[in-house]
Amino acid sequence: MAMTFFFSDRVVLLFDFWSVHTPAGLALSVLVVALLSVLYEVVKMGKARVLRRALLAVPPSLSREALLEPDEGDGGHGATQGRWFQFHVAQTLLHVVQVVLGYALMLAVMSYNAWVFLGVLAGSTIGYFVVYPLLRVD
Amino acid sequence: MDCSPFGEDWSPGGSRWKICPWNIKMSHDSHMNSSMLPTMHPDHHHTTAASGHDHGSGMMMMAMTFHFSYENVPLLFSGLTINTPGEMAGAFVAVFFLAMFYEGLKIARECLLRKSQVSIRYNSMPVPGPNGTILMETHKTVGQQMLSFPHLLQTVLHIIQVVVSYFLMLIFMTYNGYLCIAVAAGAGMGYFFFSWKKAVVVDITEHCH
Repeated sequence: MAMTFFFSDRVVLLFDFWSVHTPAGLALSVLVVALLSVLYEVVKMGKARVLRRALLAVPPSLSREALLEPDEGDGGHGATQGRWFQFHVAQTLLHVVQVVLGYALMLAVMSYNAWVFLGVLAGSTIGYFVVYPLLRVD
Repeated sequence: MDCSPFGEDWSPGGSRWKICPWNIKMSHDSHMNSSMLPTMHPDHHHTTAASGHDHGSGMMMMAMTFHFSYENVPLLFSGLTINTPGEMAGAFVAVFFLAMFYEGLKIARECLLRKSQVSIRYNSMPVPGPNGTILMETHKTVGQQMLSFPHLLQTVLHIIQVVVSYFLMLIFMTYNGYLCIAVAAGAGMGYFFFSWKKAVVVDITEHCH
């Protein structure tokens, strides 16, 4: 396994069939990896947005009892619990996607191919830059 | 003869070891049968090497692509090697619960931090004003003292969290499909159970969560 960064147009990324040996293939692969990095930032933002939407739609009880004992069974009506459940399932799915994407990007960087690393960095930069202002809008 | 990762590989028993003639030094060759020991194979054709691709001498080559196997899978420590489907099932469950524990630890640390930061300290100090008068400037600080018990507890939990997160990273780095699925599923299930009642603003600027 490579232990230092190197510039090369040969790399195998994540899967056996993703084997690159031409500059054009490398450019495409770097683009895909950059887009995955953008998607990672978007998913992070998506989780925050879903949480905010959930808090607006299903306001949690701010009573002292509810804050002190969060495990106290039904904190609301059945319909409210159901809606919160849907929001929470959506958030969990987004969390799993975020975990998998994070690990995949880590493994892509671990190929030690310098172009791929720069692609991940560029995608992360662009993704954060584009997505972060959307947090302030709501 | 070159052994690049793009060359052919042996796949005995479903494992995907890329074995080169010069790195036969393996820590658990008791599990390998003798037919696997690579001697000279002059009729093997390999693809041309990647430029700048450096092999550590005497190092066993790791899998670099996803694969599904339950034989000869080293798991973090040299004593823990998975050889049978039963052991892989046990490892799956253990990794699943480790990922769940990681998510729970994150939520628990957040709760503890919020609970311990209720105290707000006010400091008033005199400062000279514009016309020679003395003004009272009041500073409000929210936080913990360095040697307080909540901070020490947070530090200990932080170390545990860092170690567990590195373990999960290393487990994912085995590229074993079963173990990677266990990590992802455990993280998802842990997040689902432990952040059920969490109603705080999520800080999306943290990268390594």
